[in-house]
Amino acid sequence: MRLLACTVVAAAGVLVSAAVVAATPNPVTAWYMYGGSPSELRSNAYAHGCDFAQGQPGTNMRVLLLDFGAARKLDSSTWGAVDFSNTRFSNADILAALERAADGYHNCHVRGSVDIVYGNSNFHLSSSGMAATDAWWAGYHQSRRSENLADYQASNGYSSQTSDAASDMEPSWESAAVTKQLVSGDQAQGWALYYDFGSADGCPQSGSAGGCNNGWHISDVGYVSYAGLALPLPEIYYTANANQWTVVRKWWNANTHGGYFFLGVTASTGVGLTPASSWTALSSLNNGLVESELACFGC
Amino acid sequence: MLRLLSARVGVAALVGLAAGAGGGFALADAIGGSVPGPASKAAALDRRASVATTDSNTAPAPAPETASRPIPARMLGDDVPVPVSPSVLRVRNGWLVSDGETLVAVYAGAAGDEPSVGRVVIVRQNLAAGKQTVRVVDAGFTGALAIAAAPLGRAVETSAQTGTLRLRAGGGGLLTLDLGSERVSHDAHTARLP
Repeated sequence: MRLLACTVVAAAGVLVSAAVVAATPNPVTAWYMYGGSPSELRSNAYAHGCDFAQGQPGTNMRVLLLDFGAARKLDSSTWGAVDFSNTRFSNADILAALERAADGYHNCHVRGSVDIVYGNSNFHLSSSGMAATDAWWAGYHQSRRSENLADYQASNGYSSQTSDAASDMEPSWESAAVTKQLVSGDQAQGWALYYDFGSADGCPQSGSAGGCNNGWHISDVGYVSYAGLALPLPEIYYTANANQWTVVRKWWNANTHGGYFFLGVTASTGVGLTPASSWTALSSLNNGLVESELACFGC
Repeated sequence: MLRLLSARVGVAALVGLAAGAGGGFALADAIGGSVPGPASKAAALDRRASVATTDSNTAPAPAPETASRPIPARMLGDDVPVPVSPSVLRVRNGWLVSDGETLVAVYAGAAGDEPSVGRVVIVRQNLAAGKQTVRVVDAGFTGALAIAAAPLGRAVETSAQTGTLRLRAGGGGLLTLDLGSERVSHDAHTARLP
């Protein structure tokens, strides 16, 4: 049995080696959502979808990441998010906005395809009253709304589109135990890939193990970025971030069934690395293991 | 990217087979029991890789009514989500204003990797133009900054976007952030209060 497993993994290695090494990608814009009201959220999302389509470089699939703020339990049976203007939106409001983003992309589509992503964060979940179970349901419903969006895209003939979910999971913002439930809930629902566009804040920059900020261990970052349907799209703002995420990848491959790769990089303007150099910094340390997504806040 | 991800789908399935075969691929105790691995992603990656580059429906969708509601200038408390990563900024507080077309949010604190460096992050959005910018402004070795005084209310929804904010440094000194130039000045004692 062990021989079989080793043979299969060797075959997997051949597949990886055969993959084409991608060139540095062009960045696409990711958006912080400041809604104010449900109608404004929809209007903004439509504009973001259209702008994204008009500016989309190349013919590949790209991620349109809309960050709706912190995941929240709004009442006993309603989940959603509080956005960066401190407005609370239910998942129904957010789905309506995501559908308008799909409409905007469709109306302005020029080339390529898009993965429209319901993004949120792990910002202060516990202190807002959310228990670990609530975080699990937040991830579950986030994935379900992404599937609802896919149904909408399919029923309207938007065949250049799909949908997934994402979370800016920052060790400093919430405990590992609660944050991991977002990923577990998403996995339980089963539809959405769950892009981790957070940081490995405080994690070591060398070696293959160690602690991170707020009591997290490198294994926790590995979990939220690669367990289940999770995929890393990490914030690489400084060279240190690329070093930290390389340690995460090494830890995962050394201690689990391996196969860790990055969907790409989340970048920003105004920080230590330019968007292009963010991607290059991570790729240079993880040769052939960084796909060509480059989502950028501020681009 | 499509070719690469297609290969990943194959890898995910194969690695999943290996894990399923139980050939010495037990997961680490550190992550606590059985964790679904790459195979769990195979179907979703496959779905993603099969998306077309054209829409089967060419009719335009109805555009939503443009809704542009101003946001009166206000301070953001520590319970309001921050979009900026702690690796960039350790936030003390924030401030926000929008006139319905353009929006400015300012977050004050310390550099993520150096708590003695005061830092502000300015997020601007122009919804009509579809533009968003993020600007990081360092104030030097001031300690963490906090917004001490700022324009507030409905009357300044446009003017405050290029106005000034008063910042308090870690040691108690005052500085001024000029949103017009996006610069911090240390000669706060000569600056006019907003």
